[in-house]
Amino acid sequence: MSSASSPAPSNATSADATPPLLDIRDLRLDFMKDGRALRAVDGVSLRLGAGEALCLVGESGCGKSVTALSIARLVPSPPARYAGGEIRVNGSDVLKMSPRELRAIRGGVVSYIFQEPGSSLNPVFRVGAQILESLKLHRPEAANEEEVLRLLRLVGIPAPESRLRDYPHQLSGGMQQRIMIAMALASHPRLLVADEPTTALDVTIQAQIIELLRELRRQIQMSLLLITHNLGIVGDLADRVAVMYAGQIVELAPSHTLLSRPLHPYTRALMNSVPKLKGQVGRLSAIPGNVPNLGSFPEGCRFHPRCPQARPDCSTQSTQLLEVEPSHWVRCPYWST
Amino acid sequence: MWTFTVKRLLHLIPILLGVSLLTFLLMSLTPGDYFTELAQNPQISPQKLAELRAKAHLDRPWYVRYGYWLSNAVRLDFGYSIAYKIQASELIFSRLWNTFLLSLSASVLAWSIAVPLGIWAAVHKDSVADRACSLIAFAGLSIPEVLLALLALMFAASTHWFPVGGAQGATFDLLTPWEQFCDRAHHLVLPTLVLAASELAGIMRQMRSNLLDTLRAEFVTTARAKGLPEGWVIYKHAVRNAINPLLTMFGYSLAGLLSGAFIVENVMSWPGLGRLTMESLSKKDHELVVASVVMATALLVIGNFVADLLLAWSDPRIRLK
Repeated sequence: MSSASSPAPSNATSADATPPLLDIRDLRLDFMKDGRALRAVDGVSLRLGAGEALCLVGESGCGKSVTALSIARLVPSPPARYAGGEIRVNGSDVLKMSPRELRAIRGGVVSYIFQEPGSSLNPVFRVGAQILESLKLHRPEAANEEEVLRLLRLVGIPAPESRLRDYPHQLSGGMQQRIMIAMALASHPRLLVADEPTTALDVTIQAQIIELLRELRRQIQMSLLLITHNLGIVGDLADRVAVMYAGQIVELAPSHTLLSRPLHPYTRALMNSVPKLKGQVGRLSAIPGNVPNLGSFPEGCRFHPRCPQARPDCSTQSTQLLEVEPSHWVRCPYWST
Repeated sequence: MWTFTVKRLLHLIPILLGVSLLTFLLMSLTPGDYFTELAQNPQISPQKLAELRAKAHLDRPWYVRYGYWLSNAVRLDFGYSIAYKIQASELIFSRLWNTFLLSLSASVLAWSIAVPLGIWAAVHKDSVADRACSLIAFAGLSIPEVLLALLALMFAASTHWFPVGGAQGATFDLLTPWEQFCDRAHHLVLPTLVLAASELAGIMRQMRSNLLDTLRAEFVTTARAKGLPEGWVIYKHAVRNAINPLLTMFGYSLAGLLSGAFIVENVMSWPGLGRLTMESLSKKDHELVVASVVMATALLVIGNFVADLLLAWSDPRIRLK
């Protein structure tokens, strides 16, 4: 477990007076179930500068979505309980904010898009009205139909005038996700959190949405936190990648470094399970076993029961996230082998 | 929209035909008729009885009588009550108003308390107040209406705060319009409370569980992520969706209120449609039975139709199908 005193891994060049846009320090979050505290996020530290794109990768249940939702304190509490750590947005801790301060952060600084655009849009309101609602909250001076149309054009919705009065169910999944993005951008956020934005979409639509996100990032100076379990889209979008396993970050590196030279056995296993277009076509290798359940994480290194390179002491020795190469952090003592 | 309305009204025809046919058949299968009691009287000769039966077409088989009834019904003549000696429709309309008044006031009372209470219980889930609401709701659901009606009568009789049964006082016709209104309202209080009590519990539980489900929906997280105040998230985004299943329930509740009124009307001697049907059944006043059953069926179907219209108005996904 990393301690609060260890510096948060970052490639930010200087520790100057302006705090980073997002600074998560040693975040620990429990889910309370039948009186037991089940740790879902265990000592996650992340830093994200203005305009930077970070990708959070991991299997289902590794704590990546909970970490992302915590940035605007959107995890329902109860059952969640923050056991420690800080989430600093522009220097102030989200976990200590009053509801009013929190509402200013939500949308105002951090906007979200989610996995299922179909169920993330309110089915009984017209999409135009839902976007307008965001504008009214954060940019009342621009809360008019022209601005909604501009946003719809920005996210590539054809004939936006006729879409304005549509209900969500009248649109395809890809269009719904574009509406979600337009709604998220309406408030001019400084950070867009995209929680598996393409998982529920067709493959061709996935590529379009990823392309849209990349294009928007180029047009608008905005940071991006992309959560995915698909390493295939990481290289396209992210400056840095953080790999999570069982509530902890196991590897953190610039994306080209991580993709070309993964050091943690879990990252390597994850990459071997992604189909490649080039080279010999063989069987994809799946990672044996399952992600451990909340509350029953293994002793020592949490990946050791599934690790092909596990050694006897992996089951006893707890692991630290260490900077083994410049801005390349790994939670495995045997990374070099 | 218009085709939908017309289609639903056309559906009413086969339903009413089936219900009236079935009522005629079932009535004819039961032994005896309106004159059976009269036959016990030694002063009435068998010839006179036969004459009376023939006059009421009771000497004909049931399907012939059904034919007569139907040919009259299409001309909006719903038969003649041999017990009350007036047109059945006239009698029913006077009673229908009473049933409607009772159902409506009970409905309004039940819904206007149950919906806010259900919302409140869902938002404050697992609080002491939520548990207290649940307890009261379960009590309301499990106490039979008959018992509640009897308790209400007992209460009225011992305190003299409310009239014991009936819909208007003995001197009603001598009162000024304002006094008449007060008299009706005074009579309405207890039956309304009894009828509303059991319905209230059901609606409240339904509202609570719907809203709890909706509050877990992803669009609620989206609404929070936008930075909306929690009140807006709940009342604008969640309640607006949680109300839809209740609108369907509203249609059934109209039906439930008519059958509920059946029990309450009889115990509390409220001169409504339910009590009239019951009386005419025991007197074998068959044309009146058929007419009131047909009327109750029509009300039920219309209630469901209204619920469908409300649902289509509330949920755009249904509107377009």
